[in-house]
Amino acid sequence: MSPSLSAQNLTTLGGLLLVLAILVPFAGMLIGFVFGGGNAQRVALATLAAGLAIAIAIANALAQSGKAVVYILGGWMPPLGVALRADGLSVVMLLTVAVVICGIGVYARADFGTPSGVKEARAPLIFWLLLLAVWGSLNLVFVSGDLFTLYVALELLTFAAVPLVSLDGRTETVRSALRYLLYALLGSVLYLLGAVLLYGAYGTLDIPLLAARVRPEPAAWAALALMIAGLLAKTALFPLHLWLPPAHAGAPAAASAVLSGLVIKGSWFLAMRLWFDVFADVVTLPAAQTLAALGAAAILVGNVVALRQTRLKLLIAYSTVAQIGYLFLMFPLATGLATAGLDSAMAVNGGMLQAISHATAKAAMFMAAGLVYTTLGHDRVADLRGVASALPMTVLAFALAGASLIGLPPSGGFLAKWLLISVAITTAQWWWALVMLVGGLLTSVYVFIVVVRTLAPAHVGWNPKTTVPRYQQAAVLALALCSFLLGAAVLCPVDVTQIGRTVSRNTVLP
Amino acid sequence: MKASDLLIATAVGAPLAMLLACLSPAIRKRMPTLLGFAPIPALAAALLADGTPLMFGNAQFEFSFAMDKPGAILLTVAAILWIAAGAYATTWLRNTDNAGGLVVCWLMTLTGCVGVFLAADIVGFYFLLAVLSVGASGLVLQGGTLKALRASAVYLGVALLAEAFLLAGLVMLALVMPHGSLLIRDAAAAISTSPWRDLTLGLLVVGLGIKAGLVPLHFWMPLAYDAAPIPASAVMSGAVVKASALALIRFLPFDAALPDFGLPLAAIGFFGAFYGVAIGVTQSEPKVVLAYSSVSQMGFLVAVIGMGLAVGNADAALAASFYAAHHLLAKGALFLAVGVVATTGRHRLWLVLLPAAVLALGIGGLPLTGGALAKLAVKPVLGDGLAGLLADLSAIGTTMLMFHFLSRLAASTASIPSTSAPVGFALPWLLMFVAAIAVPWKSYPLTGIGIGSYAFQPEILWAASWPILIGIVPMLVLWRWGRHLPQMPEGDLMTVGERAMRKVITWGYGLERAEGLLRRWPVATLMLLALAVFLGRMLIDWR
Repeated sequence: MSPSLSAQNLTTLGGLLLVLAILVPFAGMLIGFVFGGGNAQRVALATLAAGLAIAIAIANALAQSGKAVVYILGGWMPPLGVALRADGLSVVMLLTVAVVICGIGVYARADFGTPSGVKEARAPLIFWLLLLAVWGSLNLVFVSGDLFTLYVALELLTFAAVPLVSLDGRTETVRSALRYLLYALLGSVLYLLGAVLLYGAYGTLDIPLLAARVRPEPAAWAALALMIAGLLAKTALFPLHLWLPPAHAGAPAAASAVLSGLVIKGSWFLAMRLWFDVFADVVTLPAAQTLAALGAAAILVGNVVALRQTRLKLLIAYSTVAQIGYLFLMFPLATGLATAGLDSAMAVNGGMLQAISHATAKAAMFMAAGLVYTTLGHDRVADLRGVASALPMTVLAFALAGASLIGLPPSGGFLAKWLLISVAITTAQWWWALVMLVGGLLTSVYVFIVVVRTLAPAHVGWNPKTTVPRYQQAAVLALALCSFLLGAAVLCPVDVTQIGRTVSRNTVLP
Repeated sequence: MKASDLLIATAVGAPLAMLLACLSPAIRKRMPTLLGFAPIPALAAALLADGTPLMFGNAQFEFSFAMDKPGAILLTVAAILWIAAGAYATTWLRNTDNAGGLVVCWLMTLTGCVGVFLAADIVGFYFLLAVLSVGASGLVLQGGTLKALRASAVYLGVALLAEAFLLAGLVMLALVMPHGSLLIRDAAAAISTSPWRDLTLGLLVVGLGIKAGLVPLHFWMPLAYDAAPIPASAVMSGAVVKASALALIRFLPFDAALPDFGLPLAAIGFFGAFYGVAIGVTQSEPKVVLAYSSVSQMGFLVAVIGMGLAVGNADAALAASFYAAHHLLAKGALFLAVGVVATTGRHRLWLVLLPAAVLALGIGGLPLTGGALAKLAVKPVLGDGLAGLLADLSAIGTTMLMFHFLSRLAASTASIPSTSAPVGFALPWLLMFVAAIAVPWKSYPLTGIGIGSYAFQPEILWAASWPILIGIVPMLVLWRWGRHLPQMPEGDLMTVGERAMRKVITWGYGLERAEGLLRRWPVATLMLLALAVFLGRMLIDWR
């Protein structure tokens, strides 16, 4: 074992925090389940606060040490034991998820409070428990150090996410949930197949060990292709998105925010992890171009189809289909840089920023759509008049989130675009820059349509169906602001995402 | 912090602070009375600030603002226009119950406008330009009509299209900047030596050209200026559109002669100068006529910049700034005049029409007006060749268009002959009239382009007069037979664009159906397997 590898197998200061990041949400879920009823919500909210604090502590540990945070379970060295590792990429995702989940938690208090006089209601109970389960599994995805734990994490994530689709129990939503489940399972099968192949060929599933052992040979090719395809199915990259629009549009607003903002990022993150950290010596530019080509198709088709939607939630769901596309443009850009012997950090940072800004913006958008629905009693895009006067903060939030999706400065979307376009030009892949610019224009059309429609004055004598609590609007606005001001990340003194990356980035031969 | 830094910071900060204060509904209600005060710090900065840049940020990234000479010239006059139009808007808003929208968009546009004039780094410039575009499209929306909605959508769409070109250009520029600098003052030198010089220049010129209203992407201008409320049209046609001209002046490398870029740019500019006149004379709405005059004048301005670039004339920057400054004042004043005339009865009409005539013909270069000075300033850049001839011809055309405007203006009086415009309209207009006459005379020697007395020489007077005299002839023809001219739809080429748009929507339908097909189970499952196989294949092929 090389010295650099052994250094990655020592529990570091703060390593225990990684265990907490996984345990606390799941423990909260179990406690909530035991006490049940209205207590589930109280436990969940307390867990949210604790989890946010843990995420911040992990980030602090990473920033202080300047190295990845590692925890070796039971002191057993990989490949026998299991390691938890959080490098810069993981920590950034941990933090993002914590912030978004907390925002959603605040928002969901109004929609999923257990009504007074009832001891226990199904939808609220399930929602709060699953919210914690999703969080725990996402954290596990971000910090797992071996491919089998990651498989378990992915399965947990899927099984926690699917019931969120059908919380209301209507036949229609149960159908979309099943659709989601079946397709995600297909993806799991492919992923597992790939993992088995790798284990057979290299005798380990530990990420640093595997990264040192994989060679460009048939077993690695087949494994990577299977695993990536499976993950794409779970991420709903076009044309594998059959399940996404009905599932994300049919779920209750808070659940849609979880699904669209966070859940799909889990499998995307894993794909990225495999591509850059495990198979850095195996990946090729043409394969990366294939991923980005699908991404480009997603951006164009998703945006145009979003434009043609008549319901706000479906419009936002198709916007997610398009935004997923952006997440895959980074693959050929980073691979292109690595092939040229350059540091791929710029492309990876661009992709991460895109993911974070989409997570916050899309969660805000779905929650805004939920408030619109509560106020109007429908979410037909053609008839949103009066919304701006009834929900000024919500419309502002929608506009800011929209600006981030379009990529207007100072949003995170803008910074991401700037970085990715820079790389596209440096690596002479200008067509990806073109796709990003066209995608931004298409996005602006539907954001404009929705915002302008909400600005129209209401009919005389119209009154909101339900008055929305102020804190719900504030939660939506806070998340939208996170996304809109994320461009300030440029002021960050150190390149946080690159701390403790397990694989040196210049290993690919020209 | 030095005094100069403080001046620049408050110039941008004051409108921004007022904008943020609008989050409180109580303050938002009072804000209309303060609109005229928001640009005062900008005026102070333009007059007093020196060239030292104001930086804030950290070692990773720094925003910087600075005052250069073109910026100072344009910011001075822009601030005057914003003050006058702000006062006008205060009165205008008294009659509306929902002032919030306009106030917010107004302050946003003002922040963006002052910010773009002062921004000294690429990212800050792009950011503030986006603020400016979004704010201005909001201003157009405040017209409140269906027409305004369409105009606002077109405005925003075109602005974002332009910014997409610009973003690509700026990223390419940033990649070649020395030592990772992002300062605009290093841009011109970096472009000249860039391996992607032609593409960078092309993207920047196209992006800024669209924002400057170059034909054939000018159609947003008449739509927007017609649909927006009068004070908004005044600041947009005057100040907002100059942001792109200023950016062209700052980014283009005037040190090296680049005829490959300069000449086509000048040609497109001149084409726009005549095209604007040709379409303008077929219009009957005074605001639309003014808008087409803006298309024409911005075309001319870009032609000046293009000629400067073609021959590598470094003086072109200052000359073009001066020309832009005069147009800013005159056009802003004329838009306010449209509003004043609309509230003035026939009896007092001449009180407005006479000064308006001086300003309008001034744009054509009427001797002893600021316009004559502006023409004089750009003359050395254009030279005596073909460009000089085209400039004279365009002066003739502008004169004709301005006569047409005046006649349309005279026909748009209030219905009751004895009405007079409210003081809150008349005073800002008067201020703008005085500024449009006095400021060019005052600043002409200060800019170092020439001395004022030169403009009184007989041959100079004659050179400025004959295009005006000739312009009277087609004007008379137009008055006699003008009815027979074909009526161009407002926003001429836009109709073509809309037809194309409908095509795209039909394609969208096809795309939607194809997407529905892809979401069928058998198709999606096959796709998944095919993708796995294809990816595997792609991984093998390469080595």
